[in-house]
Amino acid sequence: MPSMNAVLFISFLLFSVGVAGVLIRRNVLIILMCVELMLNAANLNLVAFARHSGTVNGQAFALLVMGLAAAEVSIGLALVVALYRKKDTIQVDQINLLKG
Amino acid sequence: MDPLLASIGQYLFHAFGLLAVAGALALVFSKNAIHSICGFLLAMLAVAGCFLTLSAEFLAVAQLLVYAGGIVVLFLFVVMLVEMTKYKEKGLFQIQAPYAIAVVLAGAVVVISVFWRTLFGPATAKALTLSPSLGQGLDVANQNAQAVSRGIFAQYLLPFEILSVILLVALVGAVVLAKTERV
Repeated sequence: MPSMNAVLFISFLLFSVGVAGVLIRRNVLIILMCVELMLNAANLNLVAFARHSGTVNGQAFALLVMGLAAAEVSIGLALVVALYRKKDTIQVDQINLLKG
Repeated sequence: MDPLLASIGQYLFHAFGLLAVAGALALVFSKNAIHSICGFLLAMLAVAGCFLTLSAEFLAVAQLLVYAGGIVVLFLFVVMLVEMTKYKEKGLFQIQAPYAIAVVLAGAVVVISVFWRTLFGPATAKALTLSPSLGQGLDVANQNAQAVSRGIFAQYLLPFEILSVILLVALVGAVVLAKTERV
């Protein structure tokens, strides 16, 4: 059984790579995938703490988070497709309609 | 648990975790979007392996089905749908990338220095339990899927129902957003 600190360390590495990806990439699709990565890191933490506390609550919540992530990615990809039809680009630095 | 798996489970977890981080790095730093999706797929498969070593078997299978089976294919569809070669010369990263990486590294140093000193005690090898009213007639330690289903359908029924409404809203919203203009 892996120790708690190892799980937290791996999960934190995944989360920070996801944050870095959201902050530095121009491509909307990569940004969406990085958001999924962060949700997965949170799931890993939930499962680890479920193991640590010896209850199944964390696993049930990880399952709920997984369903929420699927809903979120479907909405996000629909937005990307609509945006590509309208603006002909999916680079976030060119989507600046609010800037005027 | 199998004694062999109990003895090598720690090393398996480290291997899967490093694989997941490698996939995440490939996702962020590769030029081609298809390569990014391959890194994403690797990370998701490795996280499923991590779930297995944490003895969450049902979640591992659900992770394989939902992420590797559904979401990766969805991303592949959209990458094929939009044409990204037009903007290749604009560069991969935003102009604030060095600052962003510096901030993330600083945050990483702070958080790691905090839980480097925090010990969560030895790894618990005790089996999962449910509350006695929920877990009756069930070998909770060895029947993971049944235990999770009792947790989700009995103990957390309201969040589950709310999630179903959210999924319905997402379904309708995705259809409305993605359909063409003529009504």
